Amino acid sequence: MSTADVLAILQGAVVTVTLSLTGILIGLPIGLALALLRWADVPVAARIVAVYVSLLRATPLVTLLLLLFFALPNVGIAIGPISAAILALVMNTSAFNCEVWRAALMNFPKDQYEAAQSVGMTAPLRFRRIVLPQIVRVSLPGLVNEMSLLIKVTPVLAVVGVVDITRAAVRIGAETYEPLPPFLVAIAIYAPIVFALVVLQRWIERRQVAVEALA
Amino acid sequence: MTTTRAPLCFTSLSRRLALGLLTAALAMPTLVAKAGSLDEIKKRGLIVATEDDFRPFEFVKDGKPTGFDNELIEDLRKYAPFEIKQQILPWTGILAGVSTGKYDVAITAAIITKERKQSLDFTSPIADATHYYVKRKDDKSIASIKDLSGKTVGVQAGSALLARLPELGAMLEKDGGKLGKVVEYTSYPEAYQDLALGRVDYVVNTIINIKTLVAEKPNVFEVGQPVSGKSFPAWAVAKGNTELLEFLNGFIAKEKETGRFAELQKKWFGESFPELPVAFEPEF
Repeated sequence: MSTADVLAILQGAVVTVTLSLTGILIGLPIGLALALLRWADVPVAARIVAVYVSLLRATPLVTLLLLLFFALPNVGIAIGPISAAILALVMNTSAFNCEVWRAALMNFPKDQYEAAQSVGMTAPLRFRRIVLPQIVRVSLPGLVNEMSLLIKVTPVLAVVGVVDITRAAVRIGAETYEPLPPFLVAIAIYAPIVFALVVLQRWIERRQVAVEALA
Repeated sequence: MTTTRAPLCFTSLSRRLALGLLTAALAMPTLVAKAGSLDEIKKRGLIVATEDDFRPFEFVKDGKPTGFDNELIEDLRKYAPFEIKQQILPWTGILAGVSTGKYDVAITAAIITKERKQSLDFTSPIADATHYYVKRKDDKSIASIKDLSGKTVGVQAGSALLARLPELGAMLEKDGGKLGKVVEYTSYPEAYQDLALGRVDYVVNTIINIKTLVAEKPNVFEVGQPVSGKSFPAWAVAKGNTELLEFLNGFIAKEKETGRFAELQKKWFGESFPELPVAFEPEF
């Protein structure tokens, strides 16, 4: 394996991190919005969300991606490999995030909400001050779990021509007929990426504890 | 994301919705976009799809696409009066992409088969791709085709090589043997790796791919014997896209005439194939 090969895998790492981050950053709020629609039991919308989440959780990411990539152009929507990859990641992860958020919302003590109502807080304020800080703390481990799964599922994006860490490693193996060294490098790169996420989670958790101690 | 969680509880509303979506998905094939005509291609450019792990035809070296087909694409850029847009992706999505009109042409070694001809049209063959088997050099139990009886074989899923394994089966049955277990791989590097590890006993691929492999790893692998009749790889366009097919055949004929085709074949395959037919009608 040459230096250029390692660089190629690192380039794949940039793609893996960019796509997963984009997927996470878009999927997280969408998941929360979907969960809120269900929690508030908005007529019709709550039903649609339930079906969406069930369907998306039952669809393998690679199948969803191929469907988006090959079927959307047939209905007149031109979609490139990167956009299709991001769309598939967001659709997939938002469904799973929705369930994590919803679990936290379902366990949210109703009396706190009613107490906030009785002192005259507006709905957006109730959500921002009372609900959100508490459900974030409860949801965090589940959300980070889902994020790390998302990072590790990115190799399936290769099927439409996205070159992530794993695909870059496969290409090198195909050129040198020595697949083991590139795969070892690939694994050595995945580990710190997921570890960084875990460190971030610990940091947020510690900070919350510190903030509460002050209060 | 990978595990199955709670079972789906369908309400009547969601069932109707799911059925609707299913019907929409089934109706999709009838909507398949018409492949781009040459006039259209002149305006928007030609979208070619190539593979990334199919040495020596197409592979990536130091981050750059190279190999037989990629050098031809360089020539095609000069020959064509329009822009060439290249997409590099794994084999899995290539032919589906061409038949749905996502890509105009698959510039890869797609072996011409009867089944593929139902949804695709093929250019003039670009090489001779008679199928051979490759074995481990230290495996003394395989000396000729009849020794392959009952042994485990590795091939690429969805490949013409897989589709033509019955031919080898017929050869083996003549001597009272039979085809052993077939293991399918998404691409060949994994199959070679498993062969080296002893998980499969032989791998079937075209003579060109196998020669390249053995030249690179002479201590590990050894070329076997042919296990199929005539077989040719070519570039694929969507069925009925005659204009583009004629254009590409014109390009190939010109490359043959100038000697460039033979030169590239010699460079990447170690031999040239001067006897290639201009058109090939597959029996299988």
